[in-house]
Amino acid sequence: MNAVATSLSRPVVTPEAARRRQRAQRRRAVLKVLEVGVLLFVAALIVFPIAWMVMTAFKTPITVYSYTIWFQPTLDNFREVFNPRWGIAQKVVNSTIIACSTVVIAIPIAVSAAYAFSRLQFPLKRVTFQWILLTQFIPAVTIVLPFYVMFRKLGLLDTYAALIIVDLAIVLPYAIWTIKGFIDAIPLEAEEAAIIDGASRLRVIWDIVVPMARPGILTAAIFCFILTWNEFLFGYLLSRQKAVPLPVGIIGFLLERGPVWELIAATGIIITIPMFFFALIIQRHFTKGMNLGAVR
Amino acid sequence: MASIQFNAVTKRWGDFFGVRELDLAVADQEFLVLLGPSGCGKTTTMRMVAGLEEPSSGEIFIGDDLVNDMPPRERDIAMVFQNYGLYPHMSVRDNIGYPLKVRGIPREDAQKRIDAAAAKVELGPFLERKPAQLSGGQRQRVALARSLVRTPRVFLMDEPLSNLDAKLRVTMRAELKHLHHELRITTIYVTHDQMEAMTLATRVGVMNKGVMQQLAPPEEVYNDPANMFVAGFIGSPSMNLVHGDLVDGTFRAEGVAVPGIGGGSRTGVVLGIRPEDLRVVGPGQGVFDAPVYSSELTGESTLVTFNVGGRHVCARGDRHFRCEIGEVVGVAVDPQRAYLFDAATENRIRL
Ligand SMILES: Nc1ncnc2c1ncn2[C@@H]1O[C@H](COP(=O)(O)OP(=O)(O)O)[C@@H](O)[C@H]1O
Ligand SMILES: [Mg+2]
Repeated sequence: MNAVATSLSRPVVTPEAARRRQRAQRRRAVLKVLEVGVLLFVAALIVFPIAWMVMTAFKTPITVYSYTIWFQPTLDNFREVFNPRWGIAQKVVNSTIIACSTVVIAIPIAVSAAYAFSRLQFPLKRVTFQWILLTQFIPAVTIVLPFYVMFRKLGLLDTYAALIIVDLAIVLPYAIWTIKGFIDAIPLEAEEAAIIDGASRLRVIWDIVVPMARPGILTAAIFCFILTWNEFLFGYLLSRQKAVPLPVGIIGFLLERGPVWELIAATGIIITIPMFFFALIIQRHFTKGMNLGAVR
Repeated sequence: MASIQFNAVTKRWGDFFGVRELDLAVADQEFLVLLGPSGCGKTTTMRMVAGLEEPSSGEIFIGDDLVNDMPPRERDIAMVFQNYGLYPHMSVRDNIGYPLKVRGIPREDAQKRIDAAAAKVELGPFLERKPAQLSGGQRQRVALARSLVRTPRVFLMDEPLSNLDAKLRVTMRAELKHLHHELRITTIYVTHDQMEAMTLATRVGVMNKGVMQQLAPPEEVYNDPANMFVAGFIGSPSMNLVHGDLVDGTFRAEGVAVPGIGGGSRTGVVLGIRPEDLRVVGPGQGVFDAPVYSSELTGESTLVTFNVGGRHVCARGDRHFRCEIGEVVGVAVDPQRAYLFDAATENRIRL
């Protein structure tokens, strides 16, 4: 056989090339192991505290300080948490009222504002929108004192109203921004069609915009609820007894003899329960929202 | 049913004119097609009738009503949008019924009218589906049914067929024509497709750069173009336009001399001849000879392009005509079918 002709017609695998390919393969394998390792490490960092809290909530006071994962689980802590002397039941009610009211008030306001920012022309529109977003960047600690003074003057300390107002200020910019994004994506044609079909502006918003922006509105509502439900700083400073929200209620478990970890963990689980439902709703709704899509 | 009247209507954004000084009278029951290249102001004109756009100046009448300040929902019009403008979260039934629901038509009556409208566009079996589950043609029908469901005074359609494939477009075109014949509702139809314009229109309004160029029945727009723009825009392949001078009734340009174009002399003119009015003959037998640049068989005819003084001139020949590229052939011109334009103003010079 003619060697030159062969090498021209079909590249020969030289030993050098084979070695290069092997080295590349080995490098890829090492990278893969590293990648999995890093992911596992990050996952462990996130999961460990949660797992620890869940375990602690089912431990007896005696086993709380041991590191064992083999223990006899008990529901006593959940029973004890609702013992009237801790007042957790009242705080669950408080948090529910505050979070639900905030969402119920915030969402209609946010939808109207988002629609206006998305579709209407008015003076200072851009500036107003930027300022609304900018309020998100003010550290809460820096304004907690003025809020405290203001509510004391208004006689609103330790009331639902005070916490709802503060929570509205916290969640509205986020809600407006989220919903506006979804409204921006709705084709103008659908709205114009409705206008020509005879709908008033309000009717168009209700019949066309709201249903089409529903995934966005739902997302905003859920995150508003979560933000409000978990809010600690303002709840801590603006309430005394009547309006104390659930996360602040945990402070009650910090006794002179030390923190009651198993009750703190049990309360932690109670605080977390709504989140599971929300995760489910979001998942279900979003897979549905995706294939609705825009119609051309 | 109603006529539509534009009196000196202008739409301006800053110093950009979308529509300029438009005077237009659409008769009752007419099917008026606005035709022109993209961006010439067709949609803007239509949106001003709908009330989605406010004229900067001028008056618009629907019937006897001055509608300048009338909100869209009081104008009693229906519109089919280019992307259909359907409501994706509603079923086909609810889409079609929305104009009735908004107007508070009782449920029972509404259902009857929805069924009738759906039947008219053959959507019966799809009433419970969502628009996303329909094909493009079916969505188009939903949009159509929604505008039919409530017998409006005026139909507005903005390139309703442009998103459909070529075959479906032809079918839907025929259906639209039939529907108009049946319902006789005054219609303004916007398109950039001259075939749609020619086949559907009772009159065609050719627009360019916001200005109405010619408003006439299809055959007149084709046979008697008012200016060079209309001449070049209507017809496919478009009219050959050759710049040159008129000397004692003979048109002269580099490589061409066409006698019998009226009388007199004039510099700076453009001669226009449609490809279908040129004939390919043997060398020396026509008005001029030219080498063949390319030859394309379209099926129903053969398009032959020549090189004439550095320009391309196209002739439509018989479908059995064959020639080689580079071959020199003769071109015969019927001077009766030639048009003359002023090169500077682009206006027609009547012979
Ligand atoms: N809201 C608007 N603001 C500024 N310019 C516009 C607006 N709407 C349309 N135009 C311009 O007006 C011209 C005509 O638009 P249109 O009527 O949509 O053209 P077409 O004939 O393609 O339907 C276009 O150049 C377009 O860019
Ligand atoms: Mg258009």
